[in-house]
Amino acid sequence: MTAIMTRDLVKTYGPTRALDGLDLTVNTGEIHGFLGPNGAGKSTTIRILLGLVRADSGRAELLGGDPWADATVLHRRLAYVPGDVELWPNLTGGEAIDLLGRLRGGLDEARRAELIERFQLDPTKKGRTYSKGNRQKVALVAAFAADVELLILDEPTSGLDPLMEAIFQEIVAETNAAGRTILLSSHILSQVEKLADRVSIIRQGKIVQAGTLAELRHLTRTTVEALTAAPVSGLAALPGVHNAETEHGQVRFSVDAEHLDGAIKHLSAFGIRALTSHPPTLEELMLRHYGNGAAA
Amino acid sequence: MTAATVGRRTADSPGGGLTGTRAMLRLALRRDRVKLPTWTLGITLFLPYFASVATATNSTPETLRASAEMLDVPMLRLFSGPMFGMENPTVLKYLVNAYFPEFLLGAALMSMLTIARHTRAEEQSGRAELVRAAVVGRQAALTAALLVAVLTNVVLALLMAAAGVGVGMAPGDALLLGAATAAMGLVFAAVTSVTVQLTEHSRAAVGIAGAVLAVVWLLRAVGAVQDSQGGWLTWLSPMGWAQLTRVADDGRWWPLALAVLLSTALTAVAYALSARRDLGAGLVASRPGRARAARGLRSPLGLAFRLQRASILWWGGSLITAGLVFGGLAGTMREGVAGEILGGEPDVVSAYLSLMGVGMSFLVGVFTVQATTRLRTEENRGRVAPLLATPTGRWAWLGSSLLATGLAAVALLMVSGLSMAAGTALALGDVARAGAAAAAVIARTPEILFLLGIAATLFGLAPRAVALGWAVLALGAMIRFWGADLPDWVRGLSPFDHIPRMPVEDFRLTPLVMLTVLAAGLLLIGLYGFRSRDLNGT
Repeated sequence: MTAIMTRDLVKTYGPTRALDGLDLTVNTGEIHGFLGPNGAGKSTTIRILLGLVRADSGRAELLGGDPWADATVLHRRLAYVPGDVELWPNLTGGEAIDLLGRLRGGLDEARRAELIERFQLDPTKKGRTYSKGNRQKVALVAAFAADVELLILDEPTSGLDPLMEAIFQEIVAETNAAGRTILLSSHILSQVEKLADRVSIIRQGKIVQAGTLAELRHLTRTTVEALTAAPVSGLAALPGVHNAETEHGQVRFSVDAEHLDGAIKHLSAFGIRALTSHPPTLEELMLRHYGNGAAA
Repeated sequence: MTAATVGRRTADSPGGGLTGTRAMLRLALRRDRVKLPTWTLGITLFLPYFASVATATNSTPETLRASAEMLDVPMLRLFSGPMFGMENPTVLKYLVNAYFPEFLLGAALMSMLTIARHTRAEEQSGRAELVRAAVVGRQAALTAALLVAVLTNVVLALLMAAAGVGVGMAPGDALLLGAATAAMGLVFAAVTSVTVQLTEHSRAAVGIAGAVLAVVWLLRAVGAVQDSQGGWLTWLSPMGWAQLTRVADDGRWWPLALAVLLSTALTAVAYALSARRDLGAGLVASRPGRARAARGLRSPLGLAFRLQRASILWWGGSLITAGLVFGGLAGTMREGVAGEILGGEPDVVSAYLSLMGVGMSFLVGVFTVQATTRLRTEENRGRVAPLLATPTGRWAWLGSSLLATGLAAVALLMVSGLSMAAGTALALGDVARAGAAAAAVIARTPEILFLLGIAATLFGLAPRAVALGWAVLALGAMIRFWGADLPDWVRGLSPFDHIPRMPVEDFRLTPLVMLTVLAAGLLLIGLYGFRSRDLNGT
């Protein structure tokens, strides 16, 4: 079963080709990471899926229907959180949550109360007085308290602090465990890695990679930086180690996940004084795999 | 901090609050490089236009005398204000006496919007935060905005003076005309510099200043009805002061000193308030609201009414006041002049009521266009997408919004008509007249619906051009009030020239039905257009 399916989707804005033959498949019941740099076409795709804009050509299917023609029927079964939530200036957050819930045909009262508590949201403030993060929370509460099959989240955590980001991740996992499909768009690889069952990577309006995280493991090469007592030698010859370089006694390289153990063992022989490692950022990944046009 | 830097700061700007004013002024002028020339030239160009109208309609001494007598009646003084030198009229005197208020209102509006744009609008958007984090004093933005307003009004005064000489005024008179117009602009720049301190929202600040303008207009209007040369109420109105300079008669400058004094005092208040408050804050802190939505907020229609509630209530209150005042003045209209001079119309009170009916309709038209252009703002700000991502469809959302605006507009016309009827009944003790007063307003409903239809069509088919709704309204008003000599087909283009002006003209059903049918058609086009276009905004 597929919740979302697009084939050869094209959307142009004047001379810009926002979507250039996009094929996206999201299976029912999964958390699907929709990953791409800013301006790659994530929001445009989502706006087509919501029937807010119409594709120039290609096919899109959402929950078995046509996102443009069947918009209102389909919207009973989904909830949406935009990346940049705007609230009505003279409505409170609580009123906005209730309004969106009622328009969707009701929301789970207990869940609403619980979410407000967990996100530490003050629902009595007027829309214009909320900070960016708090506006996101209002939309998140409204979406997660809705009884729907599909959640479409477009960079939903922009403006949330790390603590709230963690709570968001918990709630996404719970919601998914309750059987809901989630499309999570993001430009942060690590966020999607933690949550997603499958990932689609979009670049310049096209899907360039799609698959499970295990299938994409080759993309998640760890970068290691270490300061050692003695100068490191022989690193470049190790299996799975790439781009090794040394500068002022500091060594820096990237290594495939299955060879990380060997590389660290090799390093420790030289007396590790400081060690940092981080997963590749999306930008590094784009740069490495698809040339320099990551953000173009 | 070293003594040197402290020393430099003090030397640069005593008090520090004005640091950066020069840069802010240049920024403001740069941003307004199109707006301000457009405003000043736009206002000025009306002078040769009105002069040509006045010359054309007063070609002989007889017609001039007749027009002068016609103008100097309470009904027209309500709009034109006090009259000077009309016992011995010339075309130039007629020009100034008849058309001066339009220039004064133009200067006031220009100044209000200029001040709000460079002060509160900047704070509201958050840009002021960025600017104030630089080496920019607390009062720099306000000072720069006021300087822009002063500069613009001086330019306007000079342009008007030049145009005045161009249409044959004596240089001294022309300069006084320009200066009086600029003085009105300055007063409203100062008024707005205070109102922007009061509220967190630029739109509300302009709204309060607009309410002040309405009161100032009304004081001068009623003052002019009291006495042909201005009653005591006229002396309470800055708009009155400008006209009491007796431009084109025996001009005198000193009433403008009152305007300068008032502007100075208001500006001082603005600076005091501005020094006291936090960036972005108004004087009234926003209170917490309800944690749960009220029962009524459960449909697109409920939301549409909720979003327009404050605006509808304000308009309602203002229109009821205006209706009572205008109706209450009906009795005074009988004075002065025999009815037949008024374009052969049989009854001056009827003529007055029909004119006020048209005026009320235009005011409700302003509400209607304002409410519909706001839909575009909602869309651009991204507040429509989340609604359309619910089972609410496009028809439901746009239809509800238009329905709310349409119902509100009809209700506003009703209360305007009824309050004018009540005022008339109180003033004349004549129930039949009261009925005529109500009908004069309420019969105009179809033209407002037509205007709503045009706004809806623009929103659906050409959303970038929604502001053209204002143009339709403005052109309609110009054709209505100053276009008597235009060919019939041009007048016919305006939606406001088809409904009979009751009670002067007899009721005819056809134009009402035609306009209503066309309005329905336009609304449908708008709805269909919106259904098949892309939504803007993120």
